[in-house]
Amino acid sequence: MDSDQQLIADYLKGDEKSLEILIKRYLKPIYSFVYRYVGNEQEAEDATQEVFVKAWRNLKKFNQKKKFKTWIFTIAKNTSIDFLKKKKAIPFSKFENEEGENALTEKLIDPALLPDELFEQTSVGEMLNAAMKRLTPKYRMVLFLRYNDHFTFREIANILKESIDTIKTRHRRGIAILRKILKEK
Amino acid sequence: MRQDFEKLFSHLKPAEPPTGLFDRIILAIRREQELRQTKRLLFGFLFLLFASFIATPLSWTMLVNQVENSGILYLVSTAISDFGTFLTLWQDFGLAILESLPIMGIIVFTISFGIALFTLRLFLYKKRLLLGYLINNFTPLEIIGQEKNTRQTNL
Repeated sequence: MDSDQQLIADYLKGDEKSLEILIKRYLKPIYSFVYRYVGNEQEAEDATQEVFVKAWRNLKKFNQKKKFKTWIFTIAKNTSIDFLKKKKAIPFSKFENEEGENALTEKLIDPALLPDELFEQTSVGEMLNAAMKRLTPKYRMVLFLRYNDHFTFREIANILKESIDTIKTRHRRGIAILRKILKEK
Repeated sequence: MRQDFEKLFSHLKPAEPPTGLFDRIILAIRREQELRQTKRLLFGFLFLLFASFIATPLSWTMLVNQVENSGILYLVSTAISDFGTFLTLWQDFGLAILESLPIMGIIVFTISFGIALFTLRLFLYKKRLLLGYLINNFTPLEIIGQEKNTRQTNL
């Protein structure tokens, strides 16, 4: 299988098929990443399209020494934030302090995620999904990028434009909270 | 720990992109590609139009001046008025006319006139594309609104 770098080089030489392969390769992870951010199918679809168009526009400027995966996920993150801004909704993360604690979590009741319902869920996937939803977006994103999209801490730091120490702290706390939620079962 | 969590996360069902999204993306990229090409063509056309608008009259004036100063007109009129002498000395006449030709003026004028013709040809071939782009991108919003209102009234 051709590497991302090879596909980009081929596309820039005029091979249109290479771009299609590249898009197909990243369509699912990018869509799922964007969906986690915007939380709505229609907007996730539009944002995903925007991500790939932006990536295509800047493909010539892409530094071939860097990892394409990190680059496109950074675009996806920025595009998702732009979509959220367009909606003029206040991101959940706005309520978080520097320590990552969220003032809203104490006050908001999420009917879909009551511990009792978690008990009733049988599949591991559903259980984990529900547990992840109880995490604040900052922790959730780090854990998803680490274990679902298989990024290193440095890459996550690059994507989320945070320091590596912040990412490690969020990861540690995220894991602790996730364990606690799962233990509640 | 990482492997344990990766295993755990593998149970998660990722959000599936809807069918047709890939085609939508490819279509959007193609549309953008076309738009970019049209933009490039338009800028090229405007540059050539501007260049030929300035260069053609200037090079024409230069050519006329050079012709007037070269004495070629005098040689030609002599050749016409005294055709017999011209026939006898046609080689010398020919050489004198050639020597007095304003070569630089002719070259410059030919090039700028060629550019003007090429610009005209480019416009005629791509007029729909160029006008379409100009109308879509540079028409003030009020005019578009007025057009829409007129169409609705007509309907």
